[in-house]
Amino acid sequence: MSIACEFDYRKPKTLSKAIRLLAKRGRQARVLAGGTDLVGWLRDALVAPDLLVDIKGFDDLKGIGVKNRALVIGALATFSDVLESDLVAEKLPLFREMAGMVASNGVRNRATLVGNICSAVPCCDAGPVLQVYNAVVHVRGPNGKRKIPIGQWFLGPRKTALRPGELATSVAVPFPGKKHAGCFVKLKRYRGEDLAQASVAVLILAGREYRLAFGAVAPIAVRGPRTEALLKGKALSPDLLEEAGRLAVEEVVPITDIRSTKEYRALMVEVMVRRGLKTAASRLAGKGPAYGINVMEEDAP
Amino acid sequence: MTAMKFVGQSATRIDELAKVTGAAQFVDDLDFGPNLLYAEVVESPHAHALIKRIDASRAKKVPGVVRVVTGKDFPYTFGLYMQDRFIFARDRVRFVGEQVAAVVARDPVTARRAARLVKVTYEPLPHVLDLKEALGEDALLVHPDLKNYSHCPWFFPVADTNIAHWRKTRKGDVEQGFREADMVFEDTYTVPRYAHCAIEPHVIVGQYDLAGRLTLWSSSQSPYTQRHVFAEALAPLGLKHQDIRVITPFVGGGFGGKAGVSMEIIAAALALAVKGSPVKVRWTREQEFYNTYQRQGVIARIKMGVKKDGAITAIEHTLHWDAGAYVEYGANVVNAVGLSATGPYRVPNVKIDSVCVYTNLPPGGPYRGFGYSEFHFGLESHMNRVAKMIEMDPVEFRRRNAIREGDTLPYGAHMNPCGLVEAIDKAAAEIAWGKKEESTSPHKAIGKGFACFWKAPAMPPNAASAAFLKFNEDGSLNISVSGMEIGQGFLTVMAQIAAEVLTVPPGRIRVETPDTDRNAYEWQTVGSHVTWGCGNAVKAAAEEVRDKMLQVVHRVHGFAKEDLYFEDEHVKCRSKPDFALPFKDFVISGIQTPHGNFLGGPILGSGMFMPEFTSATGDPETSQGGHPNVHYTVGAAGIVLEVDRETGKMRVLKAVLAVDVGQAINPDLVRSQIVGGLVQGLATALYEDIRYSLEGKLLNPNFTDYKIPTALDIPDKIVPIIIEVAQPDGPFGARGVGEHTMIAAAALVANALEDAVGLRIKSLPLTAEKVALELRGIRYDDVKGSTMGLCFMGDPQQYAFFTKNSK
Amino acid sequence: MKKINLILNGESRTAAVAPHEVLLDVLREKLGVKSPKVGCERGDCGACTILLDGKPVCSCLILAVEVDGQEITTLEGVGRNGPTPLQQSFIRHNAFQCGFCAPGIVLAATALLEKNPQPSAHEAQEALSGNLCRCTGYEAIIESVVEAGREGGGKKKSRKGQ
Ligand code: FES
Ligand code: FES
Repeated sequence: MSIACEFDYRKPKTLSKAIRLLAKRGRQARVLAGGTDLVGWLRDALVAPDLLVDIKGFDDLKGIGVKNRALVIGALATFSDVLESDLVAEKLPLFREMAGMVASNGVRNRATLVGNICSAVPCCDAGPVLQVYNAVVHVRGPNGKRKIPIGQWFLGPRKTALRPGELATSVAVPFPGKKHAGCFVKLKRYRGEDLAQASVAVLILAGREYRLAFGAVAPIAVRGPRTEALLKGKALSPDLLEEAGRLAVEEVVPITDIRSTKEYRALMVEVMVRRGLKTAASRLAGKGPAYGINVMEEDAP
Repeated sequence: MTAMKFVGQSATRIDELAKVTGAAQFVDDLDFGPNLLYAEVVESPHAHALIKRIDASRAKKVPGVVRVVTGKDFPYTFGLYMQDRFIFARDRVRFVGEQVAAVVARDPVTARRAARLVKVTYEPLPHVLDLKEALGEDALLVHPDLKNYSHCPWFFPVADTNIAHWRKTRKGDVEQGFREADMVFEDTYTVPRYAHCAIEPHVIVGQYDLAGRLTLWSSSQSPYTQRHVFAEALAPLGLKHQDIRVITPFVGGGFGGKAGVSMEIIAAALALAVKGSPVKVRWTREQEFYNTYQRQGVIARIKMGVKKDGAITAIEHTLHWDAGAYVEYGANVVNAVGLSATGPYRVPNVKIDSVCVYTNLPPGGPYRGFGYSEFHFGLESHMNRVAKMIEMDPVEFRRRNAIREGDTLPYGAHMNPCGLVEAIDKAAAEIAWGKKEESTSPHKAIGKGFACFWKAPAMPPNAASAAFLKFNEDGSLNISVSGMEIGQGFLTVMAQIAAEVLTVPPGRIRVETPDTDRNAYEWQTVGSHVTWGCGNAVKAAAEEVRDKMLQVVHRVHGFAKEDLYFEDEHVKCRSKPDFALPFKDFVISGIQTPHGNFLGGPILGSGMFMPEFTSATGDPETSQGGHPNVHYTVGAAGIVLEVDRETGKMRVLKAVLAVDVGQAINPDLVRSQIVGGLVQGLATALYEDIRYSLEGKLLNPNFTDYKIPTALDIPDKIVPIIIEVAQPDGPFGARGVGEHTMIAAAALVANALEDAVGLRIKSLPLTAEKVALELRGIRYDDVKGSTMGLCFMGDPQQYAFFTKNSK
Repeated sequence: MKKINLILNGESRTAAVAPHEVLLDVLREKLGVKSPKVGCERGDCGACTILLDGKPVCSCLILAVEVDGQEITTLEGVGRNGPTPLQQSFIRHNAFQCGFCAPGIVLAATALLEKNPQPSAHEAQEALSGNLCRCTGYEAIIESVVEAGREGGGKKKSRKGQ
């Protein structure tokens, strides 16, 4: 099925030109990076922009690097880049675990992580992981640069704090500064590519600090502050795991849709939290399992 | 029989090179030049409504629009077995997605934009999606005119109801059978609708040239049947069979979805409307879900009587099918089940009622398995449960009742030779039946499941096949048939059959896809019958060719024909061992005599096949007296299933399927059918189902939410087992196997699930979600919300199978 | 209309495209390569897979204007001098049935072997999990890829056949 709406396409030479274009056309303009969501929306006539601004020419938005003790993921870094980055594998392997579960290879080679949070669908995989690391989205607009903490980024399904005319240039993930380990748990209907029915990101930092975030069980990716508080400073006993799982369910507001009933989502959040915490703790203790498994499918070897 | 050289060998597919290089062309790959027009179809947004007005004036004004066509332009009906459909809806739409009009334009974007400008005014009517309502008193009638529709003689519609067909089979006396039983058990099973999901969407190009020739390039399993349906539907316009030509290049998967005629009729009509220019209709993935055929949903009640020693005394099987808005093909699915819903067992007393019900959902139709997968889910679940109640091993119970050659079938004819017991034994041994396995994981359990299956091709008694064969100068062969290569390896198998007769290796035989002007007749490639039917025709053609060749050699050299034989593409002679005449030396140019003249000439042959022993003349009240089915293919299957008690997730550790194919013409291709079919079947068990809103809209018409298994979603191990009890009337003893491989799958999972975690689920699919919920005592049906996943919204136990209308 | 230049299967080609035209359609209708297939048009099935600068991508999710100046390989560009060892392995295993998914799968597997010359079965499954096949149940496809790797079909040097 062809795209039936007409629009202009520009690929400006400089970032400031792109910003000017976006500012001038406001809501009529759309940023085009990987395009894996946008092209689908154009086809389904969910959006009808006048102008697409292709930002793929900007080298400074490419790649993944380290700056100010944070991992910086450029707006053009694809999920494949994340998956294959030695830097990510070494510093923040949780991102790798998450990226490996996003869509399929053919989509990951195009889809960008920053684009994923700009689309901001409730089942967005990057959201929970960015949440547990307190990531910050870097934005440029006609009035200069802004930094938006991830906690303030998602406003609702497909709604972000990005204003018309602005462009998300990167997301910075501060290194926690102490020993840490995590686990990304994704509930899907298939072992192969699928959108999340629910997802949980778990991060444990040395000193028994726990962070949890959830995807697809609320309008946006959310943290679990009460569960985090419950866990804080404690060692993970079987009883505590049970309790954390139960409490986590109270922190989310799952709905019933085509992918799952809210009842299943709630039940699975409990299981996911338990398994995620256990796996992260084991990783923190240096006992594995290696990143890259989905504990909803695979038993830790 | 002497050892065979080509039949029974795992030859490489003759079309594989074309497929791995991208050389294989599908309809959408053909070029029609800059004059090609594109159609966009305007569809009904309502499940049931009257069409009050269609205003196409704005659409017609869009530059690039060539024609806008509506039901007024083609007031003709069509249908394979029941003529209940208009080419475009006329005054009434009966399902969401039904074609109401079409815009033909110079390019697809223009067509799409203009289609949005066609203004259709509807008067929405109440709709009926639920079987209970459709069969209720004062039910809203989907087809008030049903009694006036023409249909095949073996359909029995009930006027002024939504019952489009009712197949009744009665054998013995079921009431007596239940009285004789030591135990009688009944329960209800439900199966939702499914989609075929061939990766190639339906696409067809039609061209009506200025000389009055209508040519269609169609992605179809049924070129001749399409031509016939087009000719019948378009007869009022003066079109005859000779004016219509259907060409079918490679087809990107069919599974029944490309059998018969569904959206293809639109292209035939549009071609007439834009005489002179080719016009393409290509379905989007969404239309693919909405408006081709779907596998019908069914609710089934099974009552089984059994003696303590395990003998089944009676089966009463009542099935109500949600056939959708049009049943022109789907009613025959219902019919097929109505004849065979005992499964592969000897049952003295049988009562089957298979009822085809109109609803305001998209049309049902053929789907790999043709109704058998649906009823086997209930029946084979029931078999396990009954065995448990009489404390008999379920495999032993099946073995005890397994049908054997010569047994009387539900409709009175007799069972063909079959290796069911052998299949049961081998499949059971392969999964180490009876040996409990423990998972290494504390939250997982392992269970084993077992099920048998059978299926016969559902075809009219005169579903015939034919073949042409001709030699080329180098001694290579062309076979021209109209069976369709839909992936199953048909072309290769036909080559192997001819090869066996003529000793020409399959690699030197070209078998091309059909063109109704050039290739010999074939009814349709459905029902797993072409290896058998068309194979017989090819064998007959090869034998005719052989006789002609021997005749030429005999005439020139004077050898007795009985002494002549073929070896490695040579004619040899037993009485003269040094005689060896290469085929290529004479199959075109003949043989030179001592006088210098030539005898013989280009060798070609033809063969035909008709299942002459079949008939559809059974009594409408009992089905006794006819011989509606040619033969059954039987088999047995087992799986080892690991279930995660916390998440409900299931993993098939091993799947085994033993099937009696009579003779595997190409064992490797039989194994491909087993692996592919099992994975497709397991998908219907574990993952897939079509969901509707209460307004009749599909909720998952895409691969995002109606996903099919990926390369990661397959069993850890699949073991195909080939059983060969020859089919006497099959080519070299072969019978069909394509559909059978998915029939057992759903019951396998259901039975293994019960074995693993003690849960008996009686409605498909058996998703992880459903399992996890039910393991915690939450009934999925209570929480699933207002999605219409099944043909009956209430509690299946409360479903009344016999209301006034259906009794 | 905008003119785009690209290297298609090793040859420099140009096309005039409107911004809303999708790469898959342009490849098929304007550049005449028909191996990328239209399956779902939303990134779910992989039938439209092409290699863009060597990486498999879904061409149904890319606008043609985006690939100006890039290199594209379709199945037409593979095995020009006879089937590659990977293609031969597919043939030996009778790996495909209807073959509609084959162009996407052959390309995705070709890219996999470039990156990982001896993939395990699981790695092959993972790499191909975006390419849906309704016919085969994947088993023979996976075996073909693993065997091609084992026999050196995935080694870089064997690519000269292309
Ligand atoms: S057509 Fe592109 S992924 Fe299906
Ligand atoms: S071979 Fe038919 S879809 Fe893969």
